[in-house]
Amino acid sequence: MDTSQLLKGVLDLAVLAVLRKDDGYGYDVVRRLRAGGLDEVGDASVYGTLRRLYNAGMLTSYVVPSEEGPHRKYYSINETGRARLAESRETWRSFASTLDGLLEEVAA
Amino acid sequence: MNTQALGVEYYLTGMRAALDDLPPNEVAEIMEDVEAHIAELSSELGENESLEQRLGPPEQYAQELRQAAGYPPRTERLPVTTKKQLLTRPRAAVWGLVGATGVTLLAGAAALREPGILLLPAVILVLSLALVNDRGPAQQEIMNLPETIRLKKWLTPEPGTPAERAITYLRSLQPAWWLVRAGLLGLGAVLLAGRDILGFLAIAAVAVVSVFAGPRAKVDRRWLWFSLPASALAVGLLFQVIDVTAGQLGYNPSRSSYSGPVAETYENIYVYDENGKLLSNVTLYDQDGQPINARQGYTSCYDSDNGPEPVIPANRYPRPKVAYQNGRCYTVEPTVTAPSATSSAEPPSSASATPSSVPPTSVSPSK
Repeated sequence: MDTSQLLKGVLDLAVLAVLRKDDGYGYDVVRRLRAGGLDEVGDASVYGTLRRLYNAGMLTSYVVPSEEGPHRKYYSINETGRARLAESRETWRSFASTLDGLLEEVAA
Repeated sequence: MNTQALGVEYYLTGMRAALDDLPPNEVAEIMEDVEAHIAELSSELGENESLEQRLGPPEQYAQELRQAAGYPPRTERLPVTTKKQLLTRPRAAVWGLVGATGVTLLAGAAALREPGILLLPAVILVLSLALVNDRGPAQQEIMNLPETIRLKKWLTPEPGTPAERAITYLRSLQPAWWLVRAGLLGLGAVLLAGRDILGFLAIAAVAVVSVFAGPRAKVDRRWLWFSLPASALAVGLLFQVIDVTAGQLGYNPSRSSYSGPVAETYENIYVYDENGKLLSNVTLYDQDGQPINARQGYTSCYDSDNGPEPVIPANRYPRPKVAYQNGRCYTVEPTVTAPSATSSAEPPSSASATPSSVPPTSVSPSK
């Protein structure tokens, strides 16, 4: 099964999750997702997701100057984002266990 | 390195084109992220790897980003912007900034006399910043203007060259300059304090804000609209302070010592014959028959008993001096030391230098 299709629905959740502890700039977030096991995640999708979460008011951003190359824009999660993360986690858990149940029945 | 830099520019241009139907401030924000991404990725690339191999073509990257960000899909290819516009908002803004900085430099040199002149660059700055304020802190459109790219290339020479080391060194001095700048502006404000309270307040405010503006401009280029003219104003004020100080220290003494042709500074003239004998009652004329007059350093005595002395022609030398004793006026024959025989060709230096300080040896009360 193509995991990239599955990923589309939960990328918000994954991005909020990796920003929960530390702020990060775009490529940072891509690396954390890949290090966490989401090898397939596309760079552009992560950047797009960051913009969407930002426009939805769940992230704030600040720019850190860099001696070489362009400035880096860091994103950090705010209260709205944390609330959404908690809510989405619950949704995901119940969804995952529902699906697990269905798969158990199939296996049995 | 060069081909990679080209690749980055090419890729970013492609992305911008693929996003150009979105609101400009949104595109600016996206490109801020993407630029850092592409730059970092390109530094990780191997010898024969290209950005497109890693990320796909720029249009595809843009498409994927649009989808994830929830932007509407690009419906149609927008008509190619009618001709290349020469006067765009970013261009007008950046030239407004350059012009206002230049005007501030000139106006700064006159700001202590007429602080109101600073209103002109201030208005230009506000207007030009208003043109691009909504384009975000990176001001990417300005950075992509051909003139800005040329300037950037000029300011970043090949690593290792003396020019590159010089620029790196100057960059390291930047924080020190921010403090010096605040100091100069503060000095300008203080010098204005007694005369123009509005000018004082304005320049003092610029001095305070300038401390923060330096580091802020590194993060948000819109602060350049404050930081650059502030520097120009500080330099202009410095010029003016130097000018005023030099005027007080250097110019005035030399001006006051200036007093026309040299001949007029003589008070008296002593004429010697070939034997070194001082001649008296010599009358001098120039080539036109005009009397040669030394500066009038004496007045005739007026004797209450005998009436005025006979008038002595002003060009008769050596002139008598006038002395006062016991409330009475005397005409004194000036005496001088005769020049030594060996140097008789030269004017008697001791005589010409100190005739007035030599005490009179023969005092003849006037009749």
